[in-house]
Amino acid sequence: MSRSVALFMLLAAALLAGCETVQPWERAYLSEREMQWVSDGREAVLINHTYSSKEAASGGFGAAGGGCGCR
Amino acid sequence: MGRQSAAETGRGPASPTLTALSSSALLLPAYAPDAAADAPPEFTEIGIRYSNYQEDALGAESVIIGARERYDIDVTQAYVIAPVGDSWSLGLDVQHDAMSGASPWFVGLTAEGQPGVAMSGASISDNRLEVSANTRYYFDRGSLGGGVLHSREDDYDARAVNVDGAFNSEDGLRTYSASVSASNDKVFPVQGVIPVRIDEERRQSRSVYVGVSQILTQTSLVRVGLSYTLQDGYLTDPYKFFDQRPDERNEWALGLGQRLYLPDWRGTLRADYRFYSDDWGVDAHTLRLEYSQSTLWGDITPYVRYYSQRQADFFSVIADSRQEFFADDYRLSSFGAVTLGMRWEMDVRNWRVSLFGERYQSDGDLGLGGGEEAPAIVDFWRFTLGMTYRFD
Amino acid sequence: MVGAKTLNTVRVSFVSFILAGLLALTASPAWTEARVSAPAPSFALPGPDGSTRSLADYSGDIVYVDFWASWCGPCLKSFPVMEALHQRYADQGLSIVAINVDQRREDADAFLSAREASFAVLFDDAGVTPQQFGVKGMPTSFLIDREGLVRHIHQGFRKSDGEAIERLIQEALAE
Repeated sequence: MSRSVALFMLLAAALLAGCETVQPWERAYLSEREMQWVSDGREAVLINHTYSSKEAASGGFGAAGGGCGCR
Repeated sequence: MGRQSAAETGRGPASPTLTALSSSALLLPAYAPDAAADAPPEFTEIGIRYSNYQEDALGAESVIIGARERYDIDVTQAYVIAPVGDSWSLGLDVQHDAMSGASPWFVGLTAEGQPGVAMSGASISDNRLEVSANTRYYFDRGSLGGGVLHSREDDYDARAVNVDGAFNSEDGLRTYSASVSASNDKVFPVQGVIPVRIDEERRQSRSVYVGVSQILTQTSLVRVGLSYTLQDGYLTDPYKFFDQRPDERNEWALGLGQRLYLPDWRGTLRADYRFYSDDWGVDAHTLRLEYSQSTLWGDITPYVRYYSQRQADFFSVIADSRQEFFADDYRLSSFGAVTLGMRWEMDVRNWRVSLFGERYQSDGDLGLGGGEEAPAIVDFWRFTLGMTYRFD
Repeated sequence: MVGAKTLNTVRVSFVSFILAGLLALTASPAWTEARVSAPAPSFALPGPDGSTRSLADYSGDIVYVDFWASWCGPCLKSFPVMEALHQRYADQGLSIVAINVDQRREDADAFLSAREASFAVLFDDAGVTPQQFGVKGMPTSFLIDREGLVRHIHQGFRKSDGEAIERLIQEALAE
């Protein structure tokens, strides 16, 4: 039990340590196409469809976020 | 049983979509909305993609009777997405699958006493058409989307609807997303050389997803997401001789993802992991790693995907029909698979050209769990060529 | 089972992590922030030829300061609008100053070479000016009157924003 708590804290610490404030004008790299969660929507649909029909697993992805943050 | 003409065999057995009765393939909306954006697209974009998917033929030692070659599918995808007014976008997607090939009917023992597949007869062809429409509304700190989908083929009809939302934190570094989707499907198998026991049955799927994405640094972000899906209705595969599945399935999936940009290299590392588990006893791990390199001649991205699944409780290589539930469908077996692929994408003025190629290889020994290898697991090649054009 | 001492260490570390996290969240760098009716922060930045321009150079004019970047989608639409406004109102006393915040100068150059921009373009890759102005999203523009006071802050750029901005500029010029 203490080992898993320690592991969780390590992950939390790593996450917090890695967290820095990124200003709205510092999102150049985050706007790169390959930095998006889905860089090609239709490819994602095809992959999803292909693998869901050959394998038993499905789901799990779909978050928004990242990107240029432009309005 | 030699090859027979289409006229003799009549219409054939399962399409890949239909054989996805063991999954919720049609549940996910056809159009993956670009929910990462915070503003409507600046341009109207139209695109078309052509893909060829080819499964390896079975070895002679694995086939009891029937054809050895498996699916050959030509997929055409066309779409358009346009901004509407200040805050909306509208998208339309059409996908057509032209399928031909034989599929597994049941697993028995070959003359050598090894598990082997009885395949359906000659090559059959089936066409599937899927049309979906979606819209998205963008407001100050997020967006809302909704879509509908209709897929139709000779033996399957699916209608689905989905809504989703994304909401940013005040500093814009965290994004919360959620989506809900529902699909109502009908299966009406075609009577052919494979006798089918049902006329028409229904099944439905309800799914919910929640996720969080966090920007960590100027060059990295992570996400975590959880999805839950409930399928109920007729979940058995009517084209399989030995197949009887529960009429309910609860599925969970946990996804983790990361993106890392390397400014000095002009490259991006992409990693996604998913753990899947359902109440049929299936556990699966999926890990996808990509490295995208920006070059003078476009972006080139090699990728690898590792997949491992552990069999459903009621699966066995040779189905045991004395049990309440049983299946010999390889899709519910224990196996592992590796995909090696590469994509190349290039922007030239208002055009974008992309090329994809990948090889999928599966094997019982590649899986993390135990279990005997089902003789019908697939290997395939897939190639895709795509073009998009954007304009005002 | 877990010993009392381990549990205590766990508790202390957990609490300190939470505190550290909260502290990180609340800490904010000291910066001036442009507010409507307050004087606009002064700046001095290099142009494409290297020569420095400052806000003081434009005193007496209506100044439209726009923060943009090559990676900012809506900026593709805002540039032609700003060019049109420059052509129409420059001789009436409108000065458009587009401050670029790209971290890679070649990206900004590529963006500029593809489109017309006869208004002033200045470069701030260190991100000092957007911080001083309190930019909260990209793009953001500030309308500054002849006395150097901020009159309007506009975040984002949608298709129909051009008309609204033009109206505000006309009002400011009429004073």
